[in-house]
Amino acid sequence: MRPSVRLLNLEVPPIQGARTLYVCSVCRHAARPRPIVTRQFLRNASNANSLTEKVRRKIWGTDNPPGLKDPYGGEGALERRFKNKGAQVIEEAETPEASQAIDAAASEDAVPASADYEPATTWDGLDRVGHLGRWSDLPPAPADVYESFQVPKKITKKELLSLAAHQAVVELCLMHKLGKPLTSICEVVEHDKLIFKMIWKTKIVPSSNGQWSEALEYPNKQAEEALVYIFKQIGAEEAAETVEATEQVEETEEPLDELTEDLDTEQSKLAFCGYQKPRDNGHLSLSLNDPATKFAFLKRFSQLTGHFFPDPAAQSITTVQEAVTYVQQIMKSKPKKLADYLAKNQQYKKAPNVKVFAKRQKRSDRDEDLGRKKLIEAELRARGLLE
Amino acid sequence: MPVQGIRTVTAARNGVGAFILQCKQLDFHYCDWAGSSRGMVAFLKHQLPAFAKANPQIEIRVSPRPHKHPVIKGHYINGREKAICVRNLEPEQIFNKANLLKEASGEKLKRTKKPITSLNESVRGIWSPYHGGFKSV
Repeated sequence: MRPSVRLLNLEVPPIQGARTLYVCSVCRHAARPRPIVTRQFLRNASNANSLTEKVRRKIWGTDNPPGLKDPYGGEGALERRFKNKGAQVIEEAETPEASQAIDAAASEDAVPASADYEPATTWDGLDRVGHLGRWSDLPPAPADVYESFQVPKKITKKELLSLAAHQAVVELCLMHKLGKPLTSICEVVEHDKLIFKMIWKTKIVPSSNGQWSEALEYPNKQAEEALVYIFKQIGAEEAAETVEATEQVEETEEPLDELTEDLDTEQSKLAFCGYQKPRDNGHLSLSLNDPATKFAFLKRFSQLTGHFFPDPAAQSITTVQEAVTYVQQIMKSKPKKLADYLAKNQQYKKAPNVKVFAKRQKRSDRDEDLGRKKLIEAELRARGLLE
Repeated sequence: MPVQGIRTVTAARNGVGAFILQCKQLDFHYCDWAGSSRGMVAFLKHQLPAFAKANPQIEIRVSPRPHKHPVIKGHYINGREKAICVRNLEPEQIFNKANLLKEASGEKLKRTKKPITSLNESVRGIWSPYHGGFKSV
């Protein structure tokens, strides 16, 4: 145990002027001369006059003992690297071999020194880690734009639903006829007005064998050729080529540039190019027994109308009519009232102490229940406040 | 003829069996449209029948309160009412609130300052000059 400093420090007389000369034990301890050995160790180890150096010389019995001058191996790797960068490398002639070897290993990965090096004072022009600039400053990429699969507004009118079903059926019949993948029709979100007019004029006459490819009845030969030509472009080829093909069609048939501009501005907001209902209802009786056809139809129909079909509904649907009816039913159905549910609940019927009301209960209802409503009304009448 | 003892009709249990629940009626109000009533609707659908069965002495009334938050209202035999808004609560939490109302006395909540509460003001009673020792009279 260390002896108490207070006890050791006997220079201060204990009685006379104890208060004025009082120095606290910490300060006294700090002021005391430290042992020489401790201070010796605090000196730099590389100092020639250090204790370690003296011991080394004593052990070897010579003033120039072999081995490293600095027992810690000189400077660290970082220090050496910064020194090399600074282009002020002074090779010492009498560096020991061991330190030379370490230096050589370090200088391999060091940046070669350049004479015109100037340390930077600001961060302008320095290499930067991370994103170059703020992401919000970058212009939007094509991938950033969100395009909904469905139409932005759900279609609710019965005639328009039938029209959408007609369009989907005509398109799928054409894809069947051309032998193209059926669902690729969904790549075309909206048709040109002329093309849509041709689709609208095309009738559906269900064949006896239920084949979709034979159900089409075109208004004329020209329309058939045009539709077949247009639908050949869809699906197998790239989107860009489709655009080119449509351009070609436009060039060959009639100059539509002005027309399409007008359509873009005025009629693009109108669903189905302003048509209100299909010409006939032959498409409704087509069967959807083929799973691939059913899937393609429901996909296209939901794209055109904005109504999705849950799996159980899609499973139970067998004709086009059923699909249209299902969507109509969905729109009609209102949210169910809890009171109706509770009124039908058997547990509630059994409970004698539970009363379920379908309407909000007001204070007057309470009065009526307690039998004081008559009294109140009579009193109000007597005072002439109620007729 | 052997002597027969008189049969006991009621057993005196120091008033233990004479407890009357203070809550006489519970009103459950909900809204069909608002999202804050979701938990209340689930509670009414699934948990209220069991709650009603467990508490046959309480009259339970369920009625809608459109475009308002769901509320449970308790009516007590002292004539007071207590209402708790249960908006956005889960069915379990609503069940706890209903239990709270059921078990409440109907009195206003009071801060209890003394460790013992009694109806008698003093255990020793009010001093009377005509009782006790007549030394000083």
